[in-house]
Amino acid sequence: MSAAGRPLRFAIAQGTMLPDELAALAAVGCDVSGVTSDERRLVVRAGAMEFVRARPSDIATYVERGAADLGFVGKDVLMESGARVLELVDLRFGACRFVVAAPRSAMARSLDEYRHLGSLEVATKYPRVAGEHFRRRGIAVEIVKVAGSAEVAPLVGLADWIVDLVATGATLAANDLDVIEDIAPCTARLVANPAAYHQRRADIAPLVEKLAAWAAAR
Amino acid sequence: MTLTAPPRGFRDILPTEARELRAIERALTDAFTSYGYMPLEPPMIEHSGFESTLGGDQLIRFLDGDGSLLALRPDITTAVARLVAQRYADASGALRLSYFAPVFREEPAMLGAERQYAQAGIELVGPSGRLADAEALALLAESLARAGLKDATIEVGHVGAVRALFADLADQVRDLVMRELRDGDHVGAFRRARDGGMSASAIARARQTLGARGRGIESVLEAAGVDELREVIHLAREMFAGEPLWGVPNLALMPALPYYTGIVFEAFHPGVGFPIAAGGRNDLLVGAFGTARPATGFAINVPRLHLALYAAGWRPHLEETLVTLAPGDPVVTARLAASLRRKGVAVAIGTAAETAGLKVLAATVVDETHAKLGDGRTLTVEALANEAGTKVFR
Repeated sequence: MSAAGRPLRFAIAQGTMLPDELAALAAVGCDVSGVTSDERRLVVRAGAMEFVRARPSDIATYVERGAADLGFVGKDVLMESGARVLELVDLRFGACRFVVAAPRSAMARSLDEYRHLGSLEVATKYPRVAGEHFRRRGIAVEIVKVAGSAEVAPLVGLADWIVDLVATGATLAANDLDVIEDIAPCTARLVANPAAYHQRRADIAPLVEKLAAWAAAR
Repeated sequence: MTLTAPPRGFRDILPTEARELRAIERALTDAFTSYGYMPLEPPMIEHSGFESTLGGDQLIRFLDGDGSLLALRPDITTAVARLVAQRYADASGALRLSYFAPVFREEPAMLGAERQYAQAGIELVGPSGRLADAEALALLAESLARAGLKDATIEVGHVGAVRALFADLADQVRDLVMRELRDGDHVGAFRRARDGGMSASAIARARQTLGARGRGIESVLEAAGVDELREVIHLAREMFAGEPLWGVPNLALMPALPYYTGIVFEAFHPGVGFPIAAGGRNDLLVGAFGTARPATGFAINVPRLHLALYAAGWRPHLEETLVTLAPGDPVVTARLAASLRRKGVAVAIGTAAETAGLKVLAATVVDETHAKLGDGRTLTVEALANEAGTKVFR
């Protein structure tokens, strides 16, 4: 649902990206004094705007369905959600990348397994991204969806490879995993609900312009 | 255990909703008829391999007895392109075809992940040019207005004009840029354009043109196709004036489907966060089945239109009345009911467990020409018809 006349509603991701998000909004002149990480209210009205804090993975849904007009969300979340939203600005913070990783010592064994069994098991929290990647590469895999750390999967024999999101690669290294292949680099995006972007262009366009300039100057 | 719920993604449409959908269907088909459009009913099932406008994972597919793969139709536009190539291959002049029919998709409308929903729309095959584009546009605006939707705006873009913004790029790169714009990924599209060798100034110009909407379009008039866009909207508003400013030029409007080639448009309403209808020029689609023919048209997503109408407070059933007739002697009851129905009154003999939100007037049979109301008054057929209102039950 959406409604004309209500303030422009902006969904922002709780968690590690929040300080960068608030810095970006403050830099383009938005009053974000009411939005802090220890604030318990999830919807904060600030002048002509309204901020909604949500889980990163929910923001794509909010914006796709028009419950929020705009949002900050990682490209990684967008890729996994498949949500139809407009990606307007690359904000350049929250950098990470999707990779395929495998145990340092087991590469030869997994290739042998692929020859004999014709398929590899890939553990991931991101089945959509992983599935699309291996389809594009023409590699037959069975996706094993996990909710927690995928890094442990090869160590306990749950899967041969993993597809995961890495920022520094330290967790992979600590678990003796090597990056076999990069899938995609990801940074935070300004996204808009298409209907809101069309109908409230006069409100949204200046914000897009300022955020693009802010991101370019970083 | 007996399953009483329909299969996943399908549902029963009960009388209150069904009556409203009928009212919408009547209004829309009346509008289509008034522009000279003829009704059409393609089959529910098509060959799965046929030139679909959607990905295979969006089709509901199954095997025929002879092993060939079939699919429930995912849209009507493609079916019309197929049948025009088959049945109207030799027809010269304009074909004006309309439909109101369910379509089936694996992941469709975002309304509770329904796999079946009704589409209403038209296809204008044969004519090209501004008058034809304006006709489709005006008919969409008029159809929505006749269905009772106020405050709808129609955003009008031009795929050809957007393509022209990236004229500096090699064809292959340009196709990828266009695909990213259709997917809504402006970041990716401009990055690819830059990597493909487009100059910073050309990118800045493209960005500005894509951002132009409404009066903002005046600042990008030199861009190819923008003049055509303005004139089509102007002509459409000559055909259907409607509410002020229903047609808004907006080059950022890029429908997700790849078959559009020229003027494109989507209808929006403040009560709904996604487009209610989409359409535009698709000159290549008929060609996929044989000889290319110019074509334009649109499809209205009926559940979304219904949602917008509901959000705007539209309740059509409140104006109508149902008389329930507590029976007396069977023959007398039958005759009284027949007399009332001849006067245009809706009559249910006995009780009515489902009244679809209609006003109910409870009456008891007195004799062949009289009935008694709950408040004690005894009325003639004539008086009861007046009491119920003369509106013919449809």
